[in-house]
Amino acid sequence: MKIFIIQIIISTVVLAQSVDFNSPENIKLFADYLFCDHDYLRAIDEYEKYLNFFDNDTIRFKIALAFSLMDEHTNALKNFNKLSEASQLYQLSQIEELKSFFKLKLFPQLSSKVSEIHNLKSEYSLSADKILSISYLLNNYSIPAEKLFLAPFNDQEKPIVQNFYLRKTNPDYKSEILAGVYSAIIPGLGKIYTENYSDGITAFLITGIFSYLAYTNFEHRHLTRAWIFTVAGAGFYAGNIYGSVASAQIFNVKINFDFINDVNSFIEAKNYFIPEYDFCK
Amino acid sequence: MISVNRKIFVILIVLSGYCSAQNSLKDQFDFAKSLFDQEKYFDAITEFKRLLFFDKENLYGFDANLMIGLSYKAGAKYNDALKYFSLSEMHTKNDEQFFNASILSARTNILRRTTLQSEKILNSLLANSKYDNRKKEIKYWLGWNYIFSNQWEEASEIFSEENLDTTLADICKSVVDDLYNENFAKYSSYIFPGFGQFYTGEYLNGLISLGWNVLFGYLTINSFAEERVFDGIMIANFLWLRFYGGNTRNAEKFAKEKNLIVTNNALDWLQYNFKGSKP
Repeated sequence: MKIFIIQIIISTVVLAQSVDFNSPENIKLFADYLFCDHDYLRAIDEYEKYLNFFDNDTIRFKIALAFSLMDEHTNALKNFNKLSEASQLYQLSQIEELKSFFKLKLFPQLSSKVSEIHNLKSEYSLSADKILSISYLLNNYSIPAEKLFLAPFNDQEKPIVQNFYLRKTNPDYKSEILAGVYSAIIPGLGKIYTENYSDGITAFLITGIFSYLAYTNFEHRHLTRAWIFTVAGAGFYAGNIYGSVASAQIFNVKINFDFINDVNSFIEAKNYFIPEYDFCK
Repeated sequence: MISVNRKIFVILIVLSGYCSAQNSLKDQFDFAKSLFDQEKYFDAITEFKRLLFFDKENLYGFDANLMIGLSYKAGAKYNDALKYFSLSEMHTKNDEQFFNASILSARTNILRRTTLQSEKILNSLLANSKYDNRKKEIKYWLGWNYIFSNQWEEASEIFSEENLDTTLADICKSVVDDLYNENFAKYSSYIFPGFGQFYTGEYLNGLISLGWNVLFGYLTINSFAEERVFDGIMIANFLWLRFYGGNTRNAEKFAKEKNLIVTNNALDWLQYNFKGSKP
């Protein structure tokens, strides 16, 4: 009898020692490991396998989050949408949806989602307002008045966001026409206007020298050289006008690029005003 | 007597439990390996990672990491492949395993064009007396490393050593013969404008280059001869030197472009027609 009991106990231990890789618990453990190892695509596959056994809102949320972290926001939105209102993670999923709308540049949807979040009386309403304000900096809709725009931000954030607001409402562009006209009047002036100082001075000197050489060679009847200097001088003159217009365009593109870059860096650094998760702690 | 039998019985059951755990890991390894053999690399990586996750005693630390590295390599994810080859190196149990992992690291670095890194790995293996009997193999990959670092002459020499691979040696030799000398193209154009272009078969460009240089050279000399020194300096500086310098750079550029075509054709042939081992 004793031997029989021992045999039963030991055989149970034996079974326990063999790993069941496909048990729901092990699938979840492995998926969590993959998620924290930033191997999101595989983590999603494993979480979906787990959902075949048990329905779990946290797992659904993690799937959506994994898509979001891979910058696959269309899929992220689909999965965040699957969370029921009863879920504890529902409010977070709403703010995550905002982030996805922001990343996808779907500003009308973002705006209506902010209203939904307000209706929910969510604890993330303020974060939603902040994202909405920032979104005005990157879209072409008319931006609200400064006071209203800055209202959601705290004292630490306000000076930075105010600077963005001023750069959006009053960008430091250079006029392409003015740059061209300046260079037509005084070669190089258009380049100096677009803050391209060395090019401006070089263009002024070269056009001036070639003009002088053309003049003096015509004066002394050295016609071949005179025409060469005339063609070269005219080429530099026309090229400088074109170059000044292009320089103004490049200047303006850089202004836009820097602005978008700065805004995106700011909101990335703030993690889209979403709290950090402790899934991997 | 009965007591001894009981003890043996218990030991056998415990051992069989241990074996059973090992068997399940082995089954998982075999399953992942079968996915790899079917070229289902994404799934293979998942299953090898699963194996590593549950293999608490690191029994498969070398093999599974190596297979993950191979799967990533097959999917051209060279950075990930190198990470896992390095992990497999950390789990080697003997010199043979270390050698295999190092060679795979070197081959991946060759494909990734980080040839200095692969050269370092291969030279350290070559300097290790433990691998004296594998020198041929190391040199073979060193030859490939030379090919990918555009050193075809060195590649030809190493493949010729002890008849390491005569096919590869011949190919590298023919590439060396077909390559244009970039320095010759450049410096010959310094001496005679347009010559480098003629050398690379760009006759029209050579003639145009020669024409511009003759014209502006003449005008410069003519200006000095007529004692219009400032005119001469300006023509020389802004026109003649511009075309003279451009002519040499142009000749070098043509030589580089032609060489790129030659080497790319050779690499193309090696990729699709060469039957031997490739990185």
